[in-house]
Amino acid sequence: MCAGLAVNWRDIPDHLIEEFSLQNRVVSRNENEKEIRFLFRDPVAQLPVWVDDRLTIVEWGNRGNKESRLPKTGWCRNESLEAGKWNWLKPQPVIIPACYGLEKGVWFQIKEGMSGILVKDEKNIDHVYMLTTAASHYYEVMTRHGRMPVLLGEVI
Amino acid sequence: MDKLIGHLDADCFYVSAERVRYRNLIGQAVGVLGNQGACVIAKSYELKALGIKTGQPIWEVVPACPEAIFIKRDFRWYEVLSRKMLEIVKRVSPEVEYYSIDEFFFDASHLVQTFEVDLPSSIIALQNCILAETGLPVSIGVSWSRTLAKLMSDANKPFGTMLLLDADEIKDFLKSQPVSEISGIGRRSAMKLAEIGIENCFDFTQANRQRIQRLLTVKGEALWYELNGEAVVPIQTQKAQNKRVSRGGSMGESTNDPVRLNAWLARNTERLVEALEQRRLVCERLVLCLEYKTGGGYLRSVKLPFATSGFSTIFSAAQMLLQSYRESNLVCGMHIEAELLSNRRQRQLSLFENETANRIKIDLNEKMGRFALRSGATLHLPEMYADVSHSYDICDVNGKTCF
Repeated sequence: MCAGLAVNWRDIPDHLIEEFSLQNRVVSRNENEKEIRFLFRDPVAQLPVWVDDRLTIVEWGNRGNKESRLPKTGWCRNESLEAGKWNWLKPQPVIIPACYGLEKGVWFQIKEGMSGILVKDEKNIDHVYMLTTAASHYYEVMTRHGRMPVLLGEVI
Repeated sequence: MDKLIGHLDADCFYVSAERVRYRNLIGQAVGVLGNQGACVIAKSYELKALGIKTGQPIWEVVPACPEAIFIKRDFRWYEVLSRKMLEIVKRVSPEVEYYSIDEFFFDASHLVQTFEVDLPSSIIALQNCILAETGLPVSIGVSWSRTLAKLMSDANKPFGTMLLLDADEIKDFLKSQPVSEISGIGRRSAMKLAEIGIENCFDFTQANRQRIQRLLTVKGEALWYELNGEAVVPIQTQKAQNKRVSRGGSMGESTNDPVRLNAWLARNTERLVEALEQRRLVCERLVLCLEYKTGGGYLRSVKLPFATSGFSTIFSAAQMLLQSYRESNLVCGMHIEAELLSNRRQRQLSLFENETANRIKIDLNEKMGRFALRSGATLHLPEMYADVSHSYDICDVNGKTCF
């Protein structure tokens, strides 16, 4: 799967950093570059999402809200989406930008980003689920996980 | 004046090539992974500083460097940059050897004339020129022979240059270099030399030449001349004809399933036939080598009924070679080698070979993309063909002289 991702700090507009208090998510691997990390295990699980040509920050799936009818996960299997199991939520395809992905402690390069779906909860609040597919042999060996995100513009 | 020989070597080439297109990787600890996702085939200096070695598996690297970023190798892209570097070096030198994807030997005698500055500055000018035009950092050594030049560029990585022409300066430099640093002296040879008290490169130059020849054959003797400043290995501007052509490699997930093994056999045969076609060669002997997961392996060879580069004849022979393999062994690697090579034009046409089907396949794949038309046997390897990065390997970069 993909339990987290990082976006280049320069790719997130200042107003979003301010509006969503993303300062706490800023991390530097070295002196040159800063990145903003979004992990599913964060106190508030969120992801950056391109919705209608606009970049915004959205809650990542449904991690702990037992009251909500939304699936209690952060990921959506591509197969179940294609089988129509998510149709009742009227999912909207979205792009999740990322420069690095994280799974089981392994950070890997991402060219453009990955696919996701946007759904609304009972209070009309947006939630994003990361789309996953069966992992390629490469991905499975690299991360020791049998599922991988649906990456945009690349096959790894 | 004798010819000056230069050696140019890109610094951590695969990582640098990725940094050209992904600027965010600059300054990061980066590991380039092989196609199977298991081993680091190239590393950045940041990763090297943590003691990570090429070939190390990712599960050992991650605990040592949790912030490392991993990326899958892309030989098509690396070849694009390699050819760009080659073009630049050809602009400044009449003789260039495309030694490997990231290393060139060249006649450095014309650098001063080209850049219109003194020799040390012209070497730096070439280095800067490559950085500006390709984005790649390189190290360059220049001296009287290719072995000296390579030793110097290797000793000055990353992004260094070294020019040594004075005998005393060369002597001091050779004293600082262990004999194992010489390209062509492996671990075993270094041990043999250590037994007779040769520890550094200067010791090597002072040893009796015939003794070196007895110990390390004529190849070792050539190194002796080269380190003594006498260029005996010329710059090869054309690749010499191969004695054998081989295709294959790791199979990722080990298997003893006959269907999958047959599929791998078909894939590797198609790659081999393609390589023979590109070189206009035919072969008369075929070798099949299987590597077992538990160690050891299987090696069989067969003489072909006639010299050929045709898929059907070679594949039938390869299938026959596979017949006596025992299915109890899990296979993790496979190589098919074509031997007894000759030029296709020189061979006698066979009545038994249908060239038309081969030609149609080659022409169609040239137009539609590699493996667009392929053997039905390969359908049992869907994962290989779903992933475009499997369609191009380091051995597919043509014209290199090193292998």
